[in-house]
Amino acid sequence: MNPVIEVASLRKAFSGRDGASRTVLKDLDLTVGAGEFLCVLGASGCGKSTLLNVLAGLDKVYEGRVSVSGGRVGYLFQEPRLLPWLTAERNLDFALANCRVRTSRWSELKSRYLAMTGLSAYRDYYPHQISGGMAQRLALVRALCVEPGILLMDEPFSGLDEITAQRIRSDLLSIWEETRKTIVFVTHSAYEACFLADRILVMSGGAFRQEIRVPIARPRSYDDLAIFDLSRDVIRAFGDEIDREATRPVEPVSEPSLIEKLDRGAVVRMNI
Amino acid sequence: MLKVLSIVAALIVWGLVSLTLPPELFPGPIETTRVLWGEIAGGRVAMDVAMTMLRVVAGLLLALIMGIPVGILMGLNRRAEGVLDVWVMVGLTVPSLCYAIVAFMWFGLNETAAIIAIAVTAAPSITINIWEGVKAIDMKLVAMARVFEATRPAIVRRVLLPQIFPYVMASARFGLGIIWKITVLVELIGRPNGVGFKLFYWYQLADMRQVLAWTLLFTIIMLIIELLILKPIERHLFAWRPQVTV
Repeated sequence: MNPVIEVASLRKAFSGRDGASRTVLKDLDLTVGAGEFLCVLGASGCGKSTLLNVLAGLDKVYEGRVSVSGGRVGYLFQEPRLLPWLTAERNLDFALANCRVRTSRWSELKSRYLAMTGLSAYRDYYPHQISGGMAQRLALVRALCVEPGILLMDEPFSGLDEITAQRIRSDLLSIWEETRKTIVFVTHSAYEACFLADRILVMSGGAFRQEIRVPIARPRSYDDLAIFDLSRDVIRAFGDEIDREATRPVEPVSEPSLIEKLDRGAVVRMNI
Repeated sequence: MLKVLSIVAALIVWGLVSLTLPPELFPGPIETTRVLWGEIAGGRVAMDVAMTMLRVVAGLLLALIMGIPVGILMGLNRRAEGVLDVWVMVGLTVPSLCYAIVAFMWFGLNETAAIIAIAVTAAPSITINIWEGVKAIDMKLVAMARVFEATRPAIVRRVLLPQIFPYVMASARFGLGIIWKITVLVELIGRPNGVGFKLFYWYQLADMRQVLAWTLLFTIIMLIIELLILKPIERHLFAWRPQVTV
């Protein structure tokens, strides 16, 4: 795998109101290979969004070396950030036009990714007319439409309800398996990281603490016990530094345990 | 529908109240309409209405030209905001009559002075609206546009202006509300024609029927502009906005 993102001794400091400077990124080294799905896992304020902003070129003030190759960079924010005065389709056109994608390819690209995310019927809807989950999906379509080589994602599903988030995560994985874009995905959820990533970097206090390779075979299923076990281990090891909560999809309850939960008297009465 | 009903109700109330007072003090809607129709049929209306409209439109345009750049500057630059906000407040506080008198004394009793007085009166409230609008710009959308490689002009045109535009519309409407009133006042003091001049003329002759007829005419023209021009434009431009239901 040839690297598309190479970061060496990246330092970034903000100066606070009192003039004292606060280091948010401390000598980060990072290499991401082409087609890799990397998750950066950390609590809020650990510097992971700052790292993404540097990689995206939104933040140009830093020390160290950052090289991003392998094509255009797409970015999915925590919120959809759609232009509210444009319809779904015009929002896609906005991105396509600014990225100077050839007009002859627009309709093919739009149709392809709208279909992948189940949004084909919503081209003419304004952002306020669709649900939050659909809006975030549309934002994903917008990011994919411009055919980025690298996709940066900043907790894109944390604002959604769990069921919707699960569906989009699965969509994302199937799109990724089909297109093999390089993805750097920032999250505070260990479970989400274990479900999505090839590799997880645990980040805290502006530095990477640990690298974890996710050995779980693909395609993955969201309620795979192996994912739960791994995320639990991650939380045990880094619980102090990341979100403690291991969110897991609704546990499949086996029938025997259902009966155990019933009060015995009731069972006896039912037998009579 | 409700609008029509409320207008009908108001006319009925007007009619009933007018029955209790002598007509030279408070004529009813029928009498007022008859007098107004007499003025229109006599060809004495068109010229005055046209002059008033001209002053309103010119004054509004000039007010926007003065108010918008200042509002944008105040929204973008903290220092400018600090220096200017007290002056916007002063501008807002000075009675419109003062502007009118000063303008006529400086520039003479002419059209330019009238339009300047009208514009200066309305400009501060336009500035305040635009200032709020610029401060409310969603910078997250700007970051989004930058990620999608938008150039600076593209960001201004496709991300910033559409966000400010509703505030421009609101300030134009708000400004228009002020401008109607100040125009009539300016005409009363320093112009030989226009709706305000006519109102003053009939006031001096103590002719209540004519005063009410001209007031009615003015109100009808305003309603027509509001309902037939401004509302449809707004509906068309802001179709994308969600309807607010509480």
